Amino acid sequence: MNLRQLLDRGTALSRQRLAARVLPVGIAATALTVAGSFTPWATFSGYPGKASLAGFPGGARIFTLLLAIGMVAALLRPVGGRRRAGLLCAAGIVAISLANAWSITGQGGGLVNVAYGVWLAAVGGALGVAAFAALPDDEPVALRPHWPRAVEYALLAGVVGLGLYAVVVALAIGEPSRFLSYLVFLGFAVSAASAVGAMALLPKLYNRHQPVALGLILLAGIAFPFTQNGNATWLRVAATIGTLTVAAIGLNIVVGLAGLLDLGYIAFFGVGAYVGGIFSGAGRSSIHVHLPFLVVMLLAALIAGTFGLIIGAPTLRLRGDYLAIVTLAFGEIFRIVANNLDGTAGPNVTRGPNGISGIPDLKIGALDIGAPHTVFGVDLPYFANYYFLELLMLVIVMVIFSRLNASRIGRAWVAIREDETAAAAMGINTIKLKLLAFAIGACLAGAAGSMSAHVGTQVSPESFTFIESVLLLAAVVLGGMGTIPGALLGASALAIIPEKLRFLQDKRLLVFGIALILMMRFRPEGIVPNKRRRREFHDETGGGDAMSAAPGGPVAT
Amino acid sequence: MTLFLQQLSNGTVLGALYGLIALGYTMVYGIISLINFAHGEIFMIGGFAGLTMYKYVLPDSFQRKAAIALPLVLIFGMLCSIIVALLVERFAYRPLRAAPRLAPLITAIGVSIALQELIRLNYPGAKAPVPFPRLISRGAIHPGGITIAYVSIFIVVVAIALMVLLQGFISGSRTGRAMRATAQDPDTARLMGIDTDRIIVTTFVIGAALAAVAGVMQGMRVGTVDHLMGFTAGVKAFTAAVLGGIGNIQGAVLGGFVLGIVESMATNYMPHGSAYKDVWAFVVLIMVLVFRPNGLLGERVASRS
Repeated sequence: MNLRQLLDRGTALSRQRLAARVLPVGIAATALTVAGSFTPWATFSGYPGKASLAGFPGGARIFTLLLAIGMVAALLRPVGGRRRAGLLCAAGIVAISLANAWSITGQGGGLVNVAYGVWLAAVGGALGVAAFAALPDDEPVALRPHWPRAVEYALLAGVVGLGLYAVVVALAIGEPSRFLSYLVFLGFAVSAASAVGAMALLPKLYNRHQPVALGLILLAGIAFPFTQNGNATWLRVAATIGTLTVAAIGLNIVVGLAGLLDLGYIAFFGVGAYVGGIFSGAGRSSIHVHLPFLVVMLLAALIAGTFGLIIGAPTLRLRGDYLAIVTLAFGEIFRIVANNLDGTAGPNVTRGPNGISGIPDLKIGALDIGAPHTVFGVDLPYFANYYFLELLMLVIVMVIFSRLNASRIGRAWVAIREDETAAAAMGINTIKLKLLAFAIGACLAGAAGSMSAHVGTQVSPESFTFIESVLLLAAVVLGGMGTIPGALLGASALAIIPEKLRFLQDKRLLVFGIALILMMRFRPEGIVPNKRRRREFHDETGGGDAMSAAPGGPVAT
Repeated sequence: MTLFLQQLSNGTVLGALYGLIALGYTMVYGIISLINFAHGEIFMIGGFAGLTMYKYVLPDSFQRKAAIALPLVLIFGMLCSIIVALLVERFAYRPLRAAPRLAPLITAIGVSIALQELIRLNYPGAKAPVPFPRLISRGAIHPGGITIAYVSIFIVVVAIALMVLLQGFISGSRTGRAMRATAQDPDTARLMGIDTDRIIVTTFVIGAALAAVAGVMQGMRVGTVDHLMGFTAGVKAFTAAVLGGIGNIQGAVLGGFVLGIVESMATNYMPHGSAYKDVWAFVVLIMVLVFRPNGLLGERVASRS
């Protein structure tokens, strides 16, 4: 027996010994967490989820319980990547219990108000971390699904249904502490699932059955208003944000496909909104002309697209950074001009800071969008009509997006994004194509904007600030550039989270800024990354493309 | 004619400030090709830090003595801005140095928003513009019927002095030469034994110090500081840098003065000029990019991808 074999045997032995210890410690950790999930967390009644009562996992306790189940699964099933999955579950338990301890301390007035259940769960989680840390690190098995079609469809439907359910649950949670616990839970649970390779399955299934998957997502979208039981709160938010989601997909063409950074995109949306408002027959409009909505929408798209051409033509000849700053400048010009075109400094077009208000509800043909309906016994407030209309727009825009993406033009855009010089050398007319992307993006934003005028019933300059442009950009980047589910996810996350975190009040922008920094640091490719982009960010050796061009430029003196 | 001269003088003061801020943009861009969006906020923090020194640190007896108060305010402003810039560089930008270009730019926007909000939420009274001491007597000289405040003279003199100093440093010192080398080709510079990380840090330090001085002087000129002052000033200063030819130090100074004077003239002579006060700089930017994308002093073709 040579030294090598001896060493191997030694490590195998120590591994066995460790593994032997992992199981009991892990089970103890789970037991503690489960016990913690069923025992009181707060000494006072009034903390969300009846946390002062024992015997059931209410409030945030359900999340620690679910994570404990995940921990047991990772403990007992020898799947690849279970070390990381278990660690994530255990860390999630620690995070949720400690966060709640902090929140209970804040609400109750002191640390004494934190009941023993929290500590049980926290210790359980910490033990879990210790147990799983002792396991050897292993890679998840790459799943290559080749199941019967029906099974794969069912799986996709299940995932989409789960997604809808997750959203509905998120919306139904009222208390900030519980909502935060839920977010933490979702984050750790999804990361744990991806650690064992389950998340890698999704893109594979998605790519194989893209039409079916998108159809399912659409179905979930249609089902959403029916989950609200006639409650208008979230439908109002959904209707308001819907137009921005359409715009986000338009921006995804510009940024995600063609790689052009547009920091003033909201201005095109604003142009559309003003066109939509001015020609809507609004009570307080500068021009009293009422055109049919479809005509107005086309007009808005055309005018916004024209602005896109005017801005794009001179700047798209230059490198990307200039475009960023010029679009930012355009966004500011738009806001200032809209603020001033009130008749005193220039013609009265936008009615200045007052804006255009009293915009009536849409009427398309015989269809009155301002009327509520009852379908299948569920009351749908009139916001649902806007919501469905936006869903339709979204479908159209998504079809445009995916058709463009799959076309010769789309491939040319990707080539330009990756390396403009090489693309030009391949015979691509880069300026023309960049201009096309920019103009299409502007048109879509304009069309979405004309709709937003009706949803919001008024248009005024302060809705079109730089922050709004950054928000749209964040929706695209957060979700994952160049993918449709990414843009949808990003836009809805940016719609829901600020509404839910109202307790942050005026700290929301601060949190947003910090979130941008952290996101770029830790997951720059977004939640649903484009395959190619993911490699771009995580492949150490894959440099040399246009977007990671070596820094450097002369400081001439 | 009097009006013209008056606008010229106002524009020069404005331009001196734009130039000081633009230097930070142009140097950072020259070295790591990053539009340092947060640079405007570094300028803003300089102003707030200077105010802090004056209001909360200096004893009453010193506040009235400009000769003592002014240098202390300036130095403290510079110090704070440098610290913030270093933290931002170390924790936000450096980890992303190899990442695709979009990532650091979005990070920079995030930093910019976060810094603005940190000041707005935490500085006493910063939810509205905060009064800033004049520090220099309110007097003015009146050559040829126009009014030039002492503050204006101070701003232009300090700005030009700093620009000359910087020029000397870049062209004369060893570090300056290393900076130029890094800007031209970071990889080769590293092969020549230059610690490029240190050079990048130096660049941020110099830019932050200049921006802080500009921030304090802006406070003295306007009489207030507010958390949003960095945004517009930052975008305009970047415009000045582009106008002069990005990456070019003399260009940034020239661009700053040209932009300041153009803005001040346009505000006065264009129809409804003052209502569109902040638009003119951007119009200039777009014009420059259409007709002379390399900027006034740039020689290089800017469309390098």
